[in-house]
Amino acid sequence: MGEKKRISGCVAVANAVKLADVDVICSYPIRPYTGIMSELARMVADGELDAEFIHGEGEHGQLSVVYGASAAGARAFTGSSGVGVTYAMEVYSPISGERFPLQMAIADRTLDPPGDFGSEHTDALCCRDQGWLQGWASTPQEALDMTLMWYRIGEDPRVLLPQYACQDGYFVSHILGEVDIPAAAQVKEFLPPYKNHHTLDTRKPQIIGAQIEPVMGPPLQYQRYNAVEGSRKVIAEVHEEFAKIFGRKYAPFVEEYMTEDADVAIFMQGGHAETAKIVARRLRNLGEKVGVVRLRTFRPFPTQEVREALSKFKAVGVVDNSANFGISGGAGVLLTEARTALYNLGDKVKTLGFVAGLGGEMITHEEFYRMFNKLKEVAKTGKVDKESFWLPFEL
Amino acid sequence: MSAHATKEIPFAGTVPSPQTENEGMITGHWRTRRPVIDRDKCTECLMCWISCPDACITQDDNKGLQFNMKYCKGCGICTTTCPVGAITNVPELDFAD
Amino acid sequence: MLEEIKSLRKAPREECYVPGHRTCAGCGPALTYRQVAKAAGKNTIFIGPTGCMYVANTSYGCGPWTVPWIHAQITNGGAVASGIEAAYKAIIRKKKTDAEFPAIIVMAGDGGSTDIGLQALSAAFYRGHDILFICYDNESYANTGIQTSPTTPYGAWTTFTPAGPVVPEGKKLLPKDNPKIMAHGHPELKYLATASIGYPLDLMNKVRKGINAKGPAYLHIHAPCPKGWSFPSDKTVELAKLAVDTGMFQLYELTEDRQYRVTYQPKELKPVEEYLKLQGRFAHLQPEHVAKLQNFAQGRLQEVGIEATVPPAAE
Repeated sequence: MGEKKRISGCVAVANAVKLADVDVICSYPIRPYTGIMSELARMVADGELDAEFIHGEGEHGQLSVVYGASAAGARAFTGSSGVGVTYAMEVYSPISGERFPLQMAIADRTLDPPGDFGSEHTDALCCRDQGWLQGWASTPQEALDMTLMWYRIGEDPRVLLPQYACQDGYFVSHILGEVDIPAAAQVKEFLPPYKNHHTLDTRKPQIIGAQIEPVMGPPLQYQRYNAVEGSRKVIAEVHEEFAKIFGRKYAPFVEEYMTEDADVAIFMQGGHAETAKIVARRLRNLGEKVGVVRLRTFRPFPTQEVREALSKFKAVGVVDNSANFGISGGAGVLLTEARTALYNLGDKVKTLGFVAGLGGEMITHEEFYRMFNKLKEVAKTGKVDKESFWLPFEL
Repeated sequence: MSAHATKEIPFAGTVPSPQTENEGMITGHWRTRRPVIDRDKCTECLMCWISCPDACITQDDNKGLQFNMKYCKGCGICTTTCPVGAITNVPELDFAD
Repeated sequence: MLEEIKSLRKAPREECYVPGHRTCAGCGPALTYRQVAKAAGKNTIFIGPTGCMYVANTSYGCGPWTVPWIHAQITNGGAVASGIEAAYKAIIRKKKTDAEFPAIIVMAGDGGSTDIGLQALSAAFYRGHDILFICYDNESYANTGIQTSPTTPYGAWTTFTPAGPVVPEGKKLLPKDNPKIMAHGHPELKYLATASIGYPLDLMNKVRKGINAKGPAYLHIHAPCPKGWSFPSDKTVELAKLAVDTGMFQLYELTEDRQYRVTYQPKELKPVEEYLKLQGRFAHLQPEHVAKLQNFAQGRLQEVGIEATVPPAAE
């Protein structure tokens, strides 16, 4: 049976990697994700985990090493934060294009400048359209569970895509939470061995990644598109099965909190959503009809589920914890994605964008109160004077 | 986009390795000069064989060195590496085929 | 263990790099690939970083290798090979496969080895992965239409180093010496050599030594490029030999105690001019530029212990 421990998001992920019996790990230090690798290095040194632990020469090298490892038939793991995530950018598309279902943990960090260790989703969101699956955990427990579920989803023969398992730096990666670490036997039941349609094996020689003539471009890209789209079904299935085996049930795409009969809601992803929930609960105690919708799976973006979840409110505030300069709507990626999901419903739901918590700042209770108040005002008047707000300067 | 683009394409574009030749890229029609061997002069030193970038010369124990005209690009390296002048480059237009 | 190939007649007849690729007629790197693949044999995985030998070999969604081949970025051949090696070590040890450990060979161009790919190469060797990294050196970024790389010789024309009234010599810099970079400073290195397609038996045996070595091996192979260097397609092997015979390229390997051992020493060195005059990329050179290249060749020869007395250039 499993055991309960108080551990950080980093250590939780390391435990999941161990349980997944990963074969090749490639590290490079950058805060805050480093804690995952330190823990894995310890596990390897102590004989708890049998894996090749490779010291990458940088994040670009890390992603290249796991690309090769996955191509050769190994379950592979890597991770990074901040500018490390963007340094590896070249290699993301080859990994998904060759359909290697390796996993990368991202503990978010700002890009430079500012030279800052703080968490921001900007790093991981930079690589959102590379053909990878991507989601955010908001607690150490969820970080562990997401690692296992992503491997299972990514390695499904109907999917075969790499996965970004994201968590907020510090707020999740370094805060201790009670984590139920499952037993190895349970994980074995849940996660079958990794097999790919193509691997580098001299007994069955294949050419992987050949150049093409342009006429082959559309069907190849369409194949990858269909793999990403097709993963939706598998994501839902795997969450069901995870609940059966481990007893923890997550909404696969959007988690709703106190949304029944709510007039207004906050829509966001990551650990700050836990703060939003506390504020929503307090407002509920005061009789306010407010709720929180937390996005769990960002890629593929659950357009239908987000539309269903958000369309019942009069006003939705989308909280972006990322710096997206010059973006349409003036806030962040999540606002544009949410609005796209709602677009065909017309003007039924008013949407406001809130940029908050940049540079690793807390998004405080006070700030969430201000956001909810603004939303209530819009819901009441039906008027939007200003559609995006950078906190704390503009609200 | 042509109709070809919608056809079945292998998983991730991965294809089986060829066995003896890659018929996806036949190059014999590039050739403007054809290597012709004088078997009386040939000592089978194999310099031409090992120096062909296109692996178009093969060893046949009975018939001597064979030239693969389906792929030979006519670069002429076999001719220049032959130490005894047994190979000449003949213009393709001199041949009926 | 792969055995030494005693003569061309004893060389494997089987081709692992077969006819059917879009490389130029007379392509030196293609000939390199063929000789390497022949020596390496069937239990080989090739990693092909972007470069001529990726683009020209795999156009149209197919390729000429009878053994597994995978594309790598021009940046990361060494890292991808590291991952493949680590994977095989792990899955063999953990009994997740019954495959035999393969020869893992990177075939990178000079850009993918000495320039943008140097970091990944150095890291793989520092970490001691059991791979063979081969640089097929055609002394330019040729696939993109002939731009200077770190191994482009001083004085060579490329589209990024054109000769003109202000820059009469074309390329002004001396080339990077990658085998020497690799030879010293990578303690895990198990084998290192240079080779030339002008000396195929020597080349093939060095490939086998590199594969047999239990750890990282580096092979730097001189591979003349008719298009980039501007010479007729039938002169590829002749130029490869001339490069060695003039001292512009030196054939050696590194011994276990990190000393250079010359593996082929020309009986009499020829003036570099004999090599230069066959190539259009050097057509603009003035006598002082040729003299600088002669000095360069002699310096490189002396570094590896070849007596560098050269007869004066013929008038």
